[in-house]
Amino acid sequence: MVSKKKKVKKKILQTFQDTILNLQKYWIKQGCIILQPYDMEVGAGTFHPATTLRSLGPKPWKTAYVQPSRRPTDGRYGDNPNRLQHYYQFQVLIKPSPQNIKKLYLNSLSTIGIKHQDHDIRFVEDDWESPTLGASGLGWEVWCDGMEITQFTYFQQMAGVECKPISVELTYGLERICMFTQGKKNVFDLIWNNEGTLYREVFYQAEKEFSAYNFEFANTDNLFKIFEMFEEEAKSLIEKKISLPAYDQCLKASHVFNILDARGVIGVAQRAEYISRIRNLTKGVGQIWLESQI
Amino acid sequence: MSEFFLELFSEEMPATLQSAARIKLLENFKNFFEKEKIAYKGEANSYSTPNRLLIYFKNLSHEIVQKPEEIRGPNINAPEKALEGFLKSNQIEKKNIFKKKTEKGEFYFYKKPERKIRTEELLNSYLPNILENIPWKKSMKWGDYSMFWGRPLKSILAIFNGKPLNFKYHHLICSNVTYLDKDFEEKLIRFKDFKSYMSYFKNRGIIINNNLRRNFIEKELIKSSSKKNLKVYINEKLLSEVTDIVEKPKVILCSFDKKFLEIPKEILVVTMQKHQKYFPTFDKKENLTNIFFIIADIKDQKGFVRIGNERVVEARLNDADFFWKKNKSQNLVKRVSMLKNMNYFKGLGTYFDKVQRIRKLSGLISDELLISKEKIEIASTICKIDLLSDLVGEFPELQGILGGHFAQAQGFDKDICLAISEHYLPTGPESKIPRKPYSLALSLSDKIDSLVGFFGINLKPTSSKDPYALRRSTIGLIRMILENNKELKIKELINYSSLTYNEQNLKFDNKKISQELSVFFIERLKNFMKEKEIRADIIESTTSFYGVDSLLKIYKKALTLNKLIKNEIGTDVVSGYKRAHNILNAELNNKEMEISGSADPGLFKNDFEKNLYKKINDIRKYYVNYGNEENYEGMLKILASAKKEISEFFENVIVNDKDLTLKKNRLELLQMLCKTFNNYCNFSKLESIT
Repeated sequence: MVSKKKKVKKKILQTFQDTILNLQKYWIKQGCIILQPYDMEVGAGTFHPATTLRSLGPKPWKTAYVQPSRRPTDGRYGDNPNRLQHYYQFQVLIKPSPQNIKKLYLNSLSTIGIKHQDHDIRFVEDDWESPTLGASGLGWEVWCDGMEITQFTYFQQMAGVECKPISVELTYGLERICMFTQGKKNVFDLIWNNEGTLYREVFYQAEKEFSAYNFEFANTDNLFKIFEMFEEEAKSLIEKKISLPAYDQCLKASHVFNILDARGVIGVAQRAEYISRIRNLTKGVGQIWLESQI
Repeated sequence: MSEFFLELFSEEMPATLQSAARIKLLENFKNFFEKEKIAYKGEANSYSTPNRLLIYFKNLSHEIVQKPEEIRGPNINAPEKALEGFLKSNQIEKKNIFKKKTEKGEFYFYKKPERKIRTEELLNSYLPNILENIPWKKSMKWGDYSMFWGRPLKSILAIFNGKPLNFKYHHLICSNVTYLDKDFEEKLIRFKDFKSYMSYFKNRGIIINNNLRRNFIEKELIKSSSKKNLKVYINEKLLSEVTDIVEKPKVILCSFDKKFLEIPKEILVVTMQKHQKYFPTFDKKENLTNIFFIIADIKDQKGFVRIGNERVVEARLNDADFFWKKNKSQNLVKRVSMLKNMNYFKGLGTYFDKVQRIRKLSGLISDELLISKEKIEIASTICKIDLLSDLVGEFPELQGILGGHFAQAQGFDKDICLAISEHYLPTGPESKIPRKPYSLALSLSDKIDSLVGFFGINLKPTSSKDPYALRRSTIGLIRMILENNKELKIKELINYSSLTYNEQNLKFDNKKISQELSVFFIERLKNFMKEKEIRADIIESTTSFYGVDSLLKIYKKALTLNKLIKNEIGTDVVSGYKRAHNILNAELNNKEMEISGSADPGLFKNDFEKNLYKKINDIRKYYVNYGNEENYEGMLKILASAKKEISEFFENVIVNDKDLTLKKNRLELLQMLCKTFNNYCNFSKLESIT
């Protein structure tokens, strides 16, 4: 009797790490190469060069990976049950977008405990735009019983260049999905593994300390200088036509900008100016990357 | 005649694209049928679900008869190539053509014989073009296809007269087959007619007809709420949107924890309506309740849908509650200096600078509006503090409203709270306007400050762009004056506002701003009156004498004249003025004569002149004594009452007397008459007079 009960419980509850594993296994079967997270601070899985740069140019490409994503302004010192300045995205990018992508996506949900027959799955209009990447796409946010669990986007433009062919990007919000499948109201209560380790034990301290850094302690004078240095480095690398290292510099500049933004030292007009400076760098990188692809 | 129907199956089409495509595609078809003279009668409609866009014509004629026509080809001297092209495009040979002279030279002609063309052929050849011409507000590409569509188009089903059409559109070939399941797009199904198509989906609970779907949702909402003794607030826009994002709607009753009802209700409503597309409910006393309805696209057999949605709302409200508790206790007055870190606009200082200016302006108006200067100055000082709050960060559409709630929570006077809450009003042409004097004063000061600032740094709206919504603000100000029935000294406010900028070392060309803004206001008022369907010449006649300090007067005079111009009063006024005006015009254009508009009664030769003179003086007295009482109908009536004196004058007096002194005096009298009429408005601008 007792063992039976346990079994039932296990089946319902998918741990955080199982969710990642199951998505990886599923997308391997669809022919994606599994990459590891990019080793740099980025705001979203989209910034990984395996998405930004690989979505440009004619060569087919299929990949899936987890990307830790940093959004300094979203930090809440670990006090808010739904907000984090660091969280995980599971990212899939396929070029050209396959005809049956919706089916592939819905099937992927059932491998992580969301049976689409039992839930109200909706594709709600959400056109995506990233001013720093000079990118835009059309698609949806996917709602499951009223909660957004995935961004589903057909890229139309990247680094200021029209995409051809078109890539499709799926971005799963892993914490949200697990809160949903595990029935948790607080992200820190998520069950990470079968040993009972909680998300709190892994990340609570980091949330607290990074919020303090992002909002209070980051040395803004230095960061302004560092931004200039990264920008300069990116420009010089673009001139030398080495795209990947140049792109790294853009990412670094972009993250520095995000911290400055969180510190509240960038005014509205200034903000637009910084964004356009980063966009100009990304566009430059996009151009030399494209030249290298032909 | 036979039925024609078309189904365009795509991935989920956003609501706004769907409704536009329904209208435009049907229009394109009707235009096409009319142009090709393909007769149709009976039902002609378009429907949609998120995945299916349908066109249905119940009766379409099978064929059209094309009359014989002569088609002109190239000039006979044109290169051989041109002729070859002409032959090819008409699919004819050289023996089919002949030469003919025209005014422009000699040309080849082809006489196209009468032909019967089957509608089916026309549909097959023109449909791709019709589809290509849907004006998507936003469209996209996918895969490596060249097609643009609102969302990826997956299949085209087109049936005419029971048989499938077979045109090709980009990579798709149309057929009588479509996808049965919208999610996996695996199972296909064949249809032979519209009826079987509709009944097939009906049996599966899918309502293809969006009008019926909308009615269904509305009825279900009302039924479910009245069962619970509640009132559901049905926002039309939301209902339309929700209709377009479901195909088999199910209304599900959900609730949230009652403790959240302590959060300002605007936050709850925005969360439910805008973020989650739910329908909130109210009790008999119009209080918001913790019960709401969701429209699911699936039967909630296991209860997951309800629980899931409730959890989402709970999480959102928890967030809002957290911020509400934090923000409402942050002392508003102490935070004023924090506005110094918040830029208002480049060249216009910080928000701290802005509220200092608003404070002075609202202080100036306080006398005119008979309100406490002290109270309006407090309201001005703290009206922008909510921009610093987390809640406005989360709910930007509630700026002002949240400020009002914070002020209330901190015990500020209720006039102050309301003024803060309403100072962004009106937010659109249909939105309500501030009515209470404190709200009016604050809203007015805020808007004048913005207008003067942006004109000061020369960021005026252009004909196509108005990025800082200055037109909208000005229309808002005009509506505030008109709908509150309160004339305000706008010019003085504009000038004072410039000074408040100058005091902060922001130097503008004050005189230029004042002039430009006055013109801008009058232009907006003209537009506003045009939208109210006031005649263009009446608008001109009323705006040509009065300026920005008389907006209410202009509007009322125009409105009254517009109403009366077609009836007896109007015609009497206009015809009287016209006779005098025409003679004056003719005389003054021909000769050099100085007419000042003051006749000498000593020179009158008869009673008709004396009577008219007396009447004019009566009218003048009336205008002096009652002119400020805003009885505009009365003002027109007294002008109309001069009809008798005017016509008797013209019937019995010859203006063009040989004695030049008498003539001049009579012209003076007529000028007096016109000038007196012009106390109402510049009648010479009316169409029937010029």
